Parts: sequence; C-alpha cells; structure tokens
Amino acid sequence: MTEEVAAIAVNGVQKRYGKLTVLRDVTLEVAPGEIFTLLGANGAGKSTLIKLLTTLAQPDGGSIRVQGCDPVTQGGRVRRVIGLNAQAETLDDTVSGRANLRLVATLLGLADPQQAIAAVAKRLDLDAFLDRRVATYSGGMRRRLDLAMSLLGNPAVLFLDEPTTGVDPQNRLALWALIRELRDGGTTIFLTTQYLDEADALADRIAFMREGRIVKVGTPAQIKQAAVPTFALTVAAGQAEAAKAALAEHQLPYQLAGDVFTLAAAVAPQALAVLAPRLVVTGYVPNAVTLESVYLAVTKEAKHAHA
Amino acid sequence: MLTLKQLAALTGRIIRQNFTNGDTLVTVIAMPVFMLLFFVYVLGGSIVTAGGAAGATQYLDYALPGFVLLTMAMGSAYTALRINNDQTSGFLSRLHALPIPRWVILGAHLLASVVFMVAAAAAVLLVGCLMGYRSEAGLGGWLAFAGLAVLFALTITLLAIPFSLKASNYASAGGFSYVLLMLLFVSSALMPTRGMAGPVRAFATHQPMTPIVNAARGLLAAGTAPQTLPVALAWLIGGAVVFAALAYWAYWQVFVKR
Repeated sequence: MTEEVAAIAVNGVQKRYGKLTVLRDVTLEVAPGEIFTLLGANGAGKSTLIKLLTTLAQPDGGSIRVQGCDPVTQGGRVRRVIGLNAQAETLDDTVSGRANLRLVATLLGLADPQQAIAAVAKRLDLDAFLDRRVATYSGGMRRRLDLAMSLLGNPAVLFLDEPTTGVDPQNRLALWALIRELRDGGTTIFLTTQYLDEADALADRIAFMREGRIVKVGTPAQIKQAAVPTFALTVAAGQAEAAKAALAEHQLPYQLAGDVFTLAAAVAPQALAVLAPRLVVTGYVPNAVTLESVYLAVTKEAKHAHA
Repeated sequence: MLTLKQLAALTGRIIRQNFTNGDTLVTVIAMPVFMLLFFVYVLGGSIVTAGGAAGATQYLDYALPGFVLLTMAMGSAYTALRINNDQTSGFLSRLHALPIPRWVILGAHLLASVVFMVAAAAAVLLVGCLMGYRSEAGLGGWLAFAGLAVLFALTITLLAIPFSLKASNYASAGGFSYVLLMLLFVSSALMPTRGMAGPVRAFATHQPMTPIVNAARGLLAAGTAPQTLPVALAWLIGGAVVFAALAYWAYWQVFVKR
C-alpha cells in the first residue's frame, strides 16, 4: 500500500503533552473501504491518534495523510471528507433529535438538509423518536443520534472512537451491522475499541496499541494466532481475594478482568490443583482467546523487541 | 455565504439556549429587576443622590444605568457557562472536526452573548421606564448609550472567554463575574462615591466601572457626552484589546497547540 492510495497514512508520528509521551513512532496505513480497528486498553493513545487524524491536535513529529491531505496544513480539506464520532456524546438535550441533525446539516452546508436527515434517520432507525426532545431518549437512542450526526454528508472516512462503550447488546449488534453496511458502501472506517470481540467481529485489520506504540498489526485471525494459549476461570463470589493469594503464593501469573482470571494454558493443571481443593471454581474455559491473552502475547513481544 | 449561515446557526443555538433556560432568565433578568425594585422602593428613599432630598424617583433616575450594566455583568457568567459546557461536553471538538472556519465557533458565542446581554439590559431598562424613569436624551443620546452598552457587553464577553476555556467546570468558569459585580457595587453604579470611606472612595473613583457608569448615566439622562466618556471608552476599548488577546491565547492553548 502506498501513501497515494491509502485512505489514511501515518508515518513515524510522535505526540507529547509536556513531559508525557503519548504516541511513539506510530506508523500505519488504512486502505480505502477498510474497517481498521485500533485495539488497546485505556490510556494506550487511541483517542490521541484520532485527534491527530481529525485535525483536533497536531503531531510533534512524523507525517499524516487523510485522503491524501495533511491535517496540519490542509485541515479544511481533511474536515470536508471526514466524520467523527467521539467518545463523548455532543447532543443538545433541550431540543429534538431532528433539530440536532438540522444544526449539523446547516453547518455542513448540505444542499438538501431535509432529504439528508430523512436518509440518515431511516438508516439508523431514528424516525419514531426524531421529533422528541433528546432529554427523553434512552442511552441507545442517544448513541444512534450522535452517530447519525457524524454520518450526515456521507463522509469518505469515518472515525469512531469507542462507539459501543456503554451500549446494550442489542444496540451494539445494530451498530456493528451499520458499520459493516457503511464499509460495504465504500466508507473507510477507523474504529477504536477496548473489546477484542468487537474488533474480531468488525475489523478487516487490527492494530494493537500499547503505551503509545503500535505493537501488532494484522487480520483478526493473525492477531489471535499470536496470543499466548490461555484458559479462563472464575471462582465463587467472595473468593476472588483468596484465589489471588493462592495464585500469588504459588507464583502463577494471571490477568484479572472483572471476576475472570486468565492464565497461560501451560499452568492450567497446576492452577487447578492449587485452587480446586480450597475454593469453588464456578467456571472454566480452556483455550480462551481474550483481550488479556492477546495483551500477554504482544506485551511479551514488545518487551523482546525493546530489550 | 455558507460561513454566514454557519455563524447564524451557531449563534441562534446559543441565544435559544439562553432564552429557554429558566435559571439563566431568573439570574440575568428577574434578579436584576428584583434588585432594582428593592433598591428603589426599599432603600432608595434613604439615599441622597444629587445633593437634594432623597426619594425613590430621584434614586431611580440615578441608579437605573448602573442596574443596566449590572444586568450585563450577571449575564457574563452565563456566557462563560455556555462556552465551558460546549468545551467540556466535547461539542466544540465536534465543531472543530467540521468544515467550519475556526473564528466562527467562538465568534458565535461572542455574538450570542452580546445579543443576550443587550436584550436582558433592554428588559431591565423597560422595567425602569415603567417605574417612572424618564430620559431627556434624544435619538442620538439613546444610540450613543446603546453603543456604550454594546461595547461593555463585548468587553466583558471577551473577558469571559479565557476563563471559560481554561476552567475545568462551569462553576469555576463564571467566577470572574463576581469580580465584575464587586467592581460595580464598589463604584458609582448604585450610590454616589462621596459617602464611601476614604480608601474605598479612592478605589471607587479610579477603578474602571465608575467612569463607565457615569458615562452611561450622562448619555441616558441628557443625551450629551459626559466628561467621563473618553475615560470610559479608553477603559472599554483597552480592555477589549487586552481581553481579546487573552481570549486568543486561551483558544490557542486549548485548540491549536494541543
């Protein structure tokens, strides 16, 4: 892929806030019509990279091209071809959904705002409540309206910053379907998420980001192959602290997300031998590929790479 | 043409927010009206304003221009609140990712703030007229007074911008407006400075609000340019230049440098 044909080309980008380096030598390319997912934990630098790509911040080093334009020197041209759906909703609660959409349509200078609003409302199934005050909307409705505002004007490149965080499963699946539909219509999607299953379900390619670096890029299958084989287990309510103590006592490394312990598959027999006699193991999933397992893999690779 | 439409759409949005928010209307219009009624009908009869006998009518003639400026100062807190809300909610970021000239985004806040402050001031002025205030100024005097009021609104709006952009929440964004109100209270806005204690009188005489209030009072009462008008204009224009520079600096820090 070359810079001329890439929808997004990022080369050696650095970003610092004071003494804190947020992005380190980030390089990636996104093909036109691709769903490219940036996966990483909170604070990995995902949102900062989106800010640079959408002209909301400037890099301290490196180069960026969006649809062939430099966001620093050609910000106006970049803003004409992108749509941004940020993490924070930017809705006016005091007016209707239609009024919110009308404002953005006016700001974009759309030739036929009514038609554009009708089309996006139909696409996101907003018609039934479009004329209600936004203050009365449920969380899912709000998220859909916010996304609809980003879709007005049919942007060639759509940036979605954790679009399903806090969204219920039904709306999450609906958003996934919409994102695929947009990709099939030719829109380039640059999406950030903390959820591996979301990246797995949507992405053509995934970039794993950790501490401001891209540490792994590949298709979902390639990313999962890189994962350390793991297993996941849960213990009875109130026994998590005892489990942590027992695993630590036997020097068995683990990742804990919520109430799920993730350990390397190689230590499964030993871990079960330690826990089962003392505690109630309520769940056990062998060979689980989770964000934690990928995290273990890419962290290990990153450590080796920088050793 | 599109830029003007964008400016009108964003300005209209903020003006609508101001005029449909009960808290804003109570604080910026109802409260100054209540204070005007209280000062005129409860305290006014005891305040000697022109060396003659004290009386509610004389006090109304004296204090109404001060209440007009007080109303606008109270409105400046809501200017800061609206800008800060838009910033902390991410709305300003959404606007910055749209193909809108950057100056339009804060320009809309500036314009909306001036329009709202002038409208609120007009409401208080109207109440004052209903209470019996009579001006001897002609059209020229009224226009000059309106110009001074617009310049005052513009200057304090420019002052609100850096505070609102830099504050972490709306409560602290409007804190500067208390300083404006304090300056108006310790000036010739509500009563003559001659009765104040020595050091307070010295401060009141030389701080910017006193010449501004005196200029407004003179223009509204008689329509002639009072002696303090050049000093008032110097404070307001100088303040507008300094605050515009501060506003640009804050904007650059928050939206350009980042």
